[in-house]
Order: sequence, then structure tokens, then C-alpha cells
Amino acid sequence: MGFDTNAEMTWCPGCGNFGIRTAFQNAILELEKKGANREDFIISAGIGCHAKMFDYVNLSGIYGLHGRNSSNAEGVKIANPDLKVVTFSGDGNGLGEGLAHTIFAAKRNQDITLVLHNNNVYALTTGQFSPLTSQGWKGPSTPRGSFETPFNAISLMIEVGATFVARSYSGDIKHLTEIFVKAIEHKGFSFIEVLQPAMPYHKWEEYKDKIEYLEKQPESKEEAYRVAKSAHRFTIGVFYQDSKEPYHKSLYGSLNPVNDSLSKEKRIEKVNVILKP
Amino acid sequence: MSKDVFTFLVGGKAGEGVKKAGSVAAHIFSSIGRHVFQLDDYMSLIRGGHNFSMVSTSTRWISSHYMKANLVVNFDKRSYETHINDIAENGIMVYNSDEIDNVDGIGIPLSSEAEKYPMKELMYGVGAVAVLSSAIGFNKLQMNEIIREQYPGGIEDNIKFADNLYKMVKESCENKFPLERGDKERKILTGNESISLGAITGGLNVYYGYPMTPASSILHFLADQSQNFGLAVVHPESELAVINLGIGSTFAGAKTMVGTSGGGFALMVEGYSLAGMTEAPVLIILSQRPGPATGVPTYTEQADLSFALTAGHGDFLRIVASPGTVEEAFYLTAEMLDLVWKFQTPGILLTEKHLSESAMTVEIDPSEAEWTEAKLHQNGKYNRYLDTNDGISPMLFPPSNEVIKWNSYEHNEFGITTEDAKLIAKMHEKRNKKVAALINYLKDKKTVNIIRGEHPTNIFSYGSTYMSVLEALKYGKINPTTIQPIYLSPLPIWELEEFKNQNNIVVEQSVSGQFTKLLTEKAGIKVRTTIKKYDGRPFDPIELSQQIKEEID
Repeated sequence: MGFDTNAEMTWCPGCGNFGIRTAFQNAILELEKKGANREDFIISAGIGCHAKMFDYVNLSGIYGLHGRNSSNAEGVKIANPDLKVVTFSGDGNGLGEGLAHTIFAAKRNQDITLVLHNNNVYALTTGQFSPLTSQGWKGPSTPRGSFETPFNAISLMIEVGATFVARSYSGDIKHLTEIFVKAIEHKGFSFIEVLQPAMPYHKWEEYKDKIEYLEKQPESKEEAYRVAKSAHRFTIGVFYQDSKEPYHKSLYGSLNPVNDSLSKEKRIEKVNVILKP
Repeated sequence: MSKDVFTFLVGGKAGEGVKKAGSVAAHIFSSIGRHVFQLDDYMSLIRGGHNFSMVSTSTRWISSHYMKANLVVNFDKRSYETHINDIAENGIMVYNSDEIDNVDGIGIPLSSEAEKYPMKELMYGVGAVAVLSSAIGFNKLQMNEIIREQYPGGIEDNIKFADNLYKMVKESCENKFPLERGDKERKILTGNESISLGAITGGLNVYYGYPMTPASSILHFLADQSQNFGLAVVHPESELAVINLGIGSTFAGAKTMVGTSGGGFALMVEGYSLAGMTEAPVLIILSQRPGPATGVPTYTEQADLSFALTAGHGDFLRIVASPGTVEEAFYLTAEMLDLVWKFQTPGILLTEKHLSESAMTVEIDPSEAEWTEAKLHQNGKYNRYLDTNDGISPMLFPPSNEVIKWNSYEHNEFGITTEDAKLIAKMHEKRNKKVAALINYLKDKKTVNIIRGEHPTNIFSYGSTYMSVLEALKYGKINPTTIQPIYLSPLPIWELEEFKNQNNIVVEQSVSGQFTKLLTEKAGIKVRTTIKKYDGRPFDPIELSQQIKEEID
């Protein structure tokens, strides 16, 4: 079964999103080789250029509201923990409007993967500065240049509790595919920041020359945090990985709320016990 | 004061076990086969202030507390001063003589007696139960049995303390209010417990809630029952998260409910519209408290009706229903869970603090509750938004070989985003067909409670105000026809046609008369007058019966 849908392609030619889609699809194929089932993959997306992934990848899921996609993803996972849930977000979507949801999904160590398409700009709404845009960006909402200090998405996510934190680049499909596979296989909250140019605002050259590969994965949370803070923002690789019980296991152990739903008769019987005077 | 009703009032500071004493009183009354209604009045604080619990009981069905109590037990000076006018004729006021003296009533040195025990603050409630036991003619054995069962921490001290107080009030209180036994013992439930159990019985799998009075006790009750019933119960970061988590869980096939009050629902409105567009069957419990803004957190009002009816941007089917009694809350919650799944649209169970947090004796048969069932996809190629005669597309849940796409953008039948003019119109029409389908379905259901009376006046009310109206009519011995629409959207105008031009009175808890407006605008009901209350307190049946009498005589 292919990944294509009949949706009209509206990403700009050369957009970094193409690479993210290719790598994600490659990762699914690789995971299938390792025994995963296609129908177990569920995607959700917010609103923005990143979110068109939903229309362009033929997988089940929810095309949600701006910033709320990780809540949709968490809701799917809580209801049926057997599903593998991947949520796509833009830098504005996930760290602006949806910041609280992104942080809390990490805090809970919810067993989902969040892909942050970082194009450093609100592309679909014509180029305003995002929570990750460097100071000085002249967009339509900041004609004299933005003066806010951007977030460091990697150190932020390490700090708030994500147990897999990586950065990759849509121009290196191989690297990105590997990161996707690792992130989805990881049991717990996985965060991937994907550097990608948005064609009207950037050029590939601005990325190609600057990309650096992390020499080795930091060994402790403290080291990971330090490396994330000091590294160049074009440094890619896995910054942090740790094993911690995922949220749904702590919440209800081996239960699957949907598959193990009690029968009508069983519920009536138990409610009658409570209703005894 | 109605002769067939006995009312017990206990008042004190938060942290002194006022509510518990009220619950124990309710338990005592129900254990001797009587009906009970318990109102807890408390402030939005943790320690101090003034709280009170009023428990009215009768051998017949009773649907309100009475603000005139036969027996009042006050733990402090403030309670004495607050309730000095809440004593019924021939009633007894028992006060704490360590706090106030030389006043009317029976003073007992509650504080200095309690001082003798290590768990001092927990003794007040035990004392109130001892006074009540004496007044209703319970012997010591009966009293001790109750204390043992209801105050299991430090039993020896509790019994010693109770014995002591029982002796102290012997002369002044003993057997002043012997209570007739009722027909059978019944379960006491709060409205929120009833809502929770109704949802469970109807098939609930997942509940999300961010703490907000007066809905929080649903979250607490369900969290406590989660292992018993295999539920996922989660308190996330905000109501924005709550509604979007809810939509995610329905996508996976979980029967999902969320709960909040007005301010929290305001945050959910964005997601409410998403549920309309994605056709996600999320049930929202909206328990009203006085607004606007933070308003008065622990009191009651009915001023979120207009908001509930119109919330959410865009055209989509909204179902809003409101239970009139604690029993109805059980069945209606199960019915609403089923309805939102049948029609794949969000729905609101609208209630108030007065129903959510008041407790009543109930008789509920869970086998009478609706069981949630949706229209399911059978086989072949799947289109999430398949256009059908009634607008309801069959559902399918992951994992599936078929792709299931729920979309917040306007979409084609498969679920892919569209901006095509024809498709936009077609999908609007598809969703809009569900409005007529729902009305047709509801025409065979009970959508309004009508009790026909001899007096040629009709009294309209909804939600918990219906309980106040019924009790007021009993107290005042007046019998107009009462009409309580259970469904508010769609309003069952087919049931209301005959009343249009009759002599109609509305009773509601909103300063602008939102329910009156709904009846007038949607059903063309001519309303002669509206009796309103908007001070955060529920109606008192004595006052309300006088107001009704003035209007209909």
C-alpha cells in the first residue's frame, strides 16, 4: 500500500517538508520490516505548512486545531495504548499556541512522537516571527525586526521531561529516517526538531553549510542539557535518551481502555453494588 | 414549616466537619426509611469562613432543603449569628457556649469539651450527631452504632465525646422530634455521583477534567472508581487540553466524557467546534455556577444556558439537555452519551451546583439506562464522512486496514482537505441533515416532564430549579401544571405547542431570564411572568411557594 493520497500538493517546490515526508515514510517501511503493522500508525497535525502532512500521507489520524495536535495524539494513545502515535507540529504551532500541550506531553512522558518542523517562521500566514526565530527577523508583524530571544527547543524539552530528544535536518534523509525510527521505537515521549527551509523565506544554502553532526550522544541528562545549550543551533543528532515508564503504564498498567471495555452486564452488576443503600 | 418535613442544620468553620455531619444526618434519616435532601453551602476557602449543611427529610419524596430548620447545631459564633432567623416554629437552636453566651437557645461548651481530645477539630461533627440523635429519640446504642460506622478514626474518643454530649442535651433536646419510620432505606447520591454512575453504566471508557467547582467531584469520583471499572481518568494541564484529548480518545473508539463549569467551558469552545467539524462524539458536563468570569465558585445559577446553546463557531449540530433531579441525571447522562455517539456530534449535559453537589435519596435501576451504540462501518472501502440519507456516516476505529481521517478543515467524504465550492456546500448539507434526524429520533423519546395539575396555570422550569418548584408546590398545596423540558437543544417544541397561549409562569435562576427567552423565541410560549433568583442560592420552597401563590391567585 502506498502513502500517496489524491490531495493536491500545495507545498512550495523545494520545500523542506518534502524531505520530512520522505524520511517519515521510509521510517514506517523500515519499522514494518521490523514487524510493525501499518494500521497501528496514527498521525495528528496542527495547522500550518507542516500540517499538510496529514493530507499527503495516507495514514489514519486527526487533522486538529492550531497548537492542539499533541493533545489529540495523547487522547488517542490514552484510549488505545497499542497504537503508535506520531504528531506533527510547526515551530509556531507547537511552541507558540500549543506550548503548554507540548511541555505537558513531555512532562507526562506520554508514549508518542512529536515532530517539530522548524522552519523558523510562520510560513503559511506570510512570514511572521516564530518562537524559534532569531532576533532581528523582519516579518509583517515585526517590521523593525523581532526583539524576543528565541527558545532553545532541545534544552527546553530535555528540561521538561522528554525522554528522547533529537534534532535532524530535512536535507539529510538518511539521518532523519534513522532518527524517526529511533524516536518511534522509543517507549516514552520522543521529540524531534527537524530543521527545514521554507522556500519563500530561506535558501537551502543557509542550512547546508552550517549543519554539524553531534560527535557523540551525551550520557547524562546534565550533560545533554549542557550540550544542547552550548551547541550550534544547526547541530543534529540524538541529544538525550532515557528509559522511564511511559504515562499510560503508570496510569492504568496493562489495561487497554478500549479493548478491555467492560460489558454492559458487568457494569450494571458493579453499579448495583455501589447503589446499595 | 411543613409538618411532614424535619430539617436539621449544622453550621461552622471549614475544616470542622460540617459537611460530614450533614452527610451522617442524611444517612441516619435514610437508614430509618425516610427520604432525604441535603444541601451543602460552603465558601471558596480551605479553613475558616462559614459552612453549613441543611438536611431535610420526610416519609414522602422530598426535592429540596428547607431554610427553616427544626434543629440547628452551630459550632461557632458566626454560625449562630448567621442562622438566628433560620429556626422553624418550635425549633431548637444549639450553640457553642464557649464562643457566645447569654443568647436564646441551648448552649453547650463544645470547644472546651472538644479540647479534651487530641483530634479536637474532628469532634464538633460527632457532637452535632449526638445532639441530633438525642433530638430524634435515638437511644445510645443506636447513636454509637452510627458513630462507629461513620467516624471510624479514634472510635473510643468519639463515643466517649458523643456520650458526654448526649447527656448534656438530654433535658433540653431528648425526643423533641421523634421521626416516623419510612418505607425503606434508599441510597443517597449527589448529582455528580449520579452523573458519573450514569456515564459508567452507559459505557464510559475515558474521562478528562481540569479541577473546577462544581464539576470537580465528577473527576474525583471517577478517578476513585477508575480501577474498578477499567477507566482512564486524567487531570491534564487545561480545559483546552481536556477537550482535545477527548476528541483524540473518541477517534480511538473510547466513550469519552469531560466536565467543567462556565469558565472552563469557555476554554473548551474552540475544541467544541472541532468536535462539530470532525463529528467527534464528546459529552461535556457543564455544571453552572454564578458568573460572569470567576463569579461565585461554590454557589448556584442558571446563567450559562444561552452560552451552552450557541457555543462554538460555525454551523453544527449541538445537543443540550438538563436533568431535573438527581435520579434523572443518572439516566440522562447515559442517554446523552448514547445520543452523541448516535449522531456523532458534541453534546452538553447542562446542570448546576445545586444539582451537582446536593445529595438525595434515590432509587435507580441501572438496567434501565441507555447503552451507547454508534452506527458502524461494515466492510469495503471506508469514507469517514460518507454522505448518507440522515447525514450520519458509519464509524470505524483504528487499527484498520482502511484509512480513517478526521479533519478540522472542510473535507471531502474521505476526509481530505478541500476548498471546492460544491464540496463545501455538500458537506454543510450532510452535517445539517443530522439536525432533522435527531429531532425525528427525539420525537419518540421523553424530552419533557409534564405533571398536569388542576390549577389553570403552567409553571416552566428546567434543571435543578424543577426540584425547587416541585417542593414549593407541595409545601404551598398548590397544583398548577409543571413543565420541565429535559432537552434544551433541540427544544422539544412539538411537546410544548398546546401551552403557547396559556397562562405561563417561568421559574429560573438568571437575572436576564435566559430560559424565558428560549421558550419565547424558540417555542413561541407566551410568558406572563418570570420568578427569578440570582443571589447564588437555590430557591427555598417556602419563599418560592409564596411567590408562586402571589402570581397565580
